[in-house]
Amino acid sequence: MSDEMNIADYLAQGGRLTNPTNVPARYRAELMKIMATFVDSELAGAAGFADVINAGPGIKERIAAARIVLEKTDNADRVLRLMGEFGANTDRYANHHPWSDRLPRDTGPGTRRSAHDMRLSVLNYPLNGWADAVVMNLCMGLGVCVQLEELVKVSYQPLAEAIRGILPAERHHAELAEEGLVRLLAEGADLTGSLAYWHPRVAAMFGDVAADRMAQLRAWGLRDRGGADLQAEWQERFDQALIRLGVT
Amino acid sequence: MARFHPLTVTEVRKTIRDAVVVTLKPEDGGDFNFTQGQYLTFRQMLDGTELRRSYSICSGTDEGVLQVGVKRVDGGAFSTWANDTLAPGMVLEAMAPMGSFHTPIMPEQGLNYLGFAGGSGITPVLSILKTVLAREPASTFTLVYANRGVNTIMFREELEDLKNLHMGRLSVIHVLESDAQDIDLFTGRVDAAKCEALFAHWIDIDSVDTAFICGPEPMMLGIASALRAHGLSDAQIKFELFASAQPDRLARKVLNAAGTSAAKSTRATVTMDGAARGFTMDKEKSLLDAALENALDAPFACKAGVCSTCKCRVLEGEVEMVANHALEDYEVEQGYVLACQSYPLSDSIVIDYDQ
Repeated sequence: MSDEMNIADYLAQGGRLTNPTNVPARYRAELMKIMATFVDSELAGAAGFADVINAGPGIKERIAAARIVLEKTDNADRVLRLMGEFGANTDRYANHHPWSDRLPRDTGPGTRRSAHDMRLSVLNYPLNGWADAVVMNLCMGLGVCVQLEELVKVSYQPLAEAIRGILPAERHHAELAEEGLVRLLAEGADLTGSLAYWHPRVAAMFGDVAADRMAQLRAWGLRDRGGADLQAEWQERFDQALIRLGVT
Repeated sequence: MARFHPLTVTEVRKTIRDAVVVTLKPEDGGDFNFTQGQYLTFRQMLDGTELRRSYSICSGTDEGVLQVGVKRVDGGAFSTWANDTLAPGMVLEAMAPMGSFHTPIMPEQGLNYLGFAGGSGITPVLSILKTVLAREPASTFTLVYANRGVNTIMFREELEDLKNLHMGRLSVIHVLESDAQDIDLFTGRVDAAKCEALFAHWIDIDSVDTAFICGPEPMMLGIASALRAHGLSDAQIKFELFASAQPDRLARKVLNAAGTSAAKSTRATVTMDGAARGFTMDKEKSLLDAALENALDAPFACKAGVCSTCKCRVLEGEVEMVANHALEDYEVEQGYVLACQSYPLSDSIVIDYDQ
């Protein structure tokens, strides 16, 4: 054993990188992409939800929605600060995109991202009222948890730690959504339309990357499980939630 | 955005033959209040090239001083300069403290910390242990400190003083690679097997709440695997990698290799604000990084291929754009690329930021 080791070998053996100066260029490009996707998705998600706070049928619902907006913005900030350590202009970044922009509601599901930012494709679709927002929040919240449980293993230690801190809040958002749906169902709301609308759009965010790129990401410790695997996990949790809710 | 601020050097003290402790005083601007275990990133022009290097703060949070330890790295431009030339009165530029190599300090908690440091990896661990011992009276700290030999141990006397000051709460295990010690256990390298032996005979690993590891790559892997095998979770293990190959060393190696193989570097000509500049760049570097290192004020924001701030046009030569989330197809056809995501393929390239 010597003191020196190729950084690729180190990563392939599960090593962690801990600050921008020991991150190789191409690793950094992939890492920044992962962080930008997270930040943009949180900012876009928060912006979309901010619009429905007032649609909440009661104070409790509005508090829950406002809290989700606050915490998602805070989560974006935590990761954006890490991007700042790599030289990203965080002030400019946060105001760079119209985060509440959405496609027309009748746009078909797909994995296409907006040309202007890195949000997950599902966040390009508009919410249609309170019940629809809560359904989206459950579908997406469960998906986000699956994605973040993957991301918490990432080889860039500061990001892994940020995600570890973020996960409980995101889990809670999915729980709030489920509580909200319990209430809506008790009041006799029909959620079938919203479920049918959001399910394929959230499913599409687990898109697979090309095999050679996936192998590279895995070797760098930036990805572990494939998209299909993650999607199946999400589907399982989604089905369980529907069973708990008595919706089938 | 991360900005550089001036700091005046107030003291440069040799700790061992090839390492100095540099005391700094912030001049104006920048928040240099730090959390134990954080680092500073310095920017320095040496031989016409801008170097950026990160060094861990080695002072504790209650000491009222800002100090970093810089060990001379073989062939390292910045560390050699800091050891040979840096003197009180000189001004360095650094970004505000960064890094997450720390856990929350709570005066009422009594935790057992275990730290591993290899060589100059002691610097952030020293900051952490000093802060823990001062602020958490019920906590203990065990340090496993790996070095080549007795004469390369940084802060040896300071650690002895701390042991005496915090009687019974700090224990230090020196593991030396080349100098034989009375006990075989303390000779050799700190790897997974050595950790196993230490856990079996010397350290009560089951009582450890949090572990800190700072050293070169193989040491990090060996210790982490031993800690995980003993049930420590990822949340309990904090890492700070002191990469053996900091970029200036890599750059030197590549530079040497460039003499024999021209394929590793590219002759770049960059036009910006009406003026053209030429320099030689590494093909493993992005156009943006190369431009910044060559003192060009190249625009950028996200460095992720997203925001398009770094858009420029390739007039001659070929580059590979590894990611593009900002440019339209027609722009790419016209030769526009994102500098932050583009790496040279040809042996010479001509780039224009003005078009």
